[in-house]
Amino acid sequence: MTDAKTQIDETVKANDVVLYMKGTKDAPQCGFSSRVAGVLNFMGVEFADVNVLADEAIRNGIKEYSDWPTIPQLYVKGEFVGGCDIITEMTLSGELDTLFEENNVTYSKDAAEKIREANA
Amino acid sequence: MGRKMNKTDEIRAKLAGAFNPRALEVLNESHQHQGHAGDDGSGESHFRVRLEDPVFADMSRVARHRAVHAALGADLMAQIHALALEISG
Repeated sequence: MTDAKTQIDETVKANDVVLYMKGTKDAPQCGFSSRVAGVLNFMGVEFADVNVLADEAIRNGIKEYSDWPTIPQLYVKGEFVGGCDIITEMTLSGELDTLFEENNVTYSKDAAEKIREANA
Repeated sequence: MGRKMNKTDEIRAKLAGAFNPRALEVLNESHQHQGHAGDDGSGESHFRVRLEDPVFADMSRVARHRAVHAALGADLMAQIHALALEISG
């Protein structure tokens, strides 16, 4: 593995939930990154954010690591979950709740229900 | 003859060739993102695809997206800033 991929591998294994995104969770710089970070923030999920705009090697490396061409990318317990469309769909279907429960990730079920009510 | 296809047509042609879609819709949504991050001024930066094919029925969400990415090819994917996918089996 390249240095960048080794670094990514360590990051996704050291943190239960990691979001590779453009910008940071407090200052996203792309609408798609903003949407996923916003869902996680709203659901009270503790997650590590990695700003790919700050490191070109990570920005390219993450696409090869997951064989996925776009940012954002969400990882739970070292496994790639998906990008913006997939996280949005999983939030609305309740699959994201299940994924968090199966992996012992703390989140607010009430907040998740609020998102679903708002999008019903 | 030899006229360059626009990206909407190119995406549609590649997906129609790779799958047997029951429904296929390609929307250029670039105008909705004018002046935002990723707007390269080409008017061909943001797309939405609605694709229905029974082949997707037993595939995971990630596998569905990967199949579409592969059908479009790395060159075309690299030219698009954003591709929203609504895929059903």
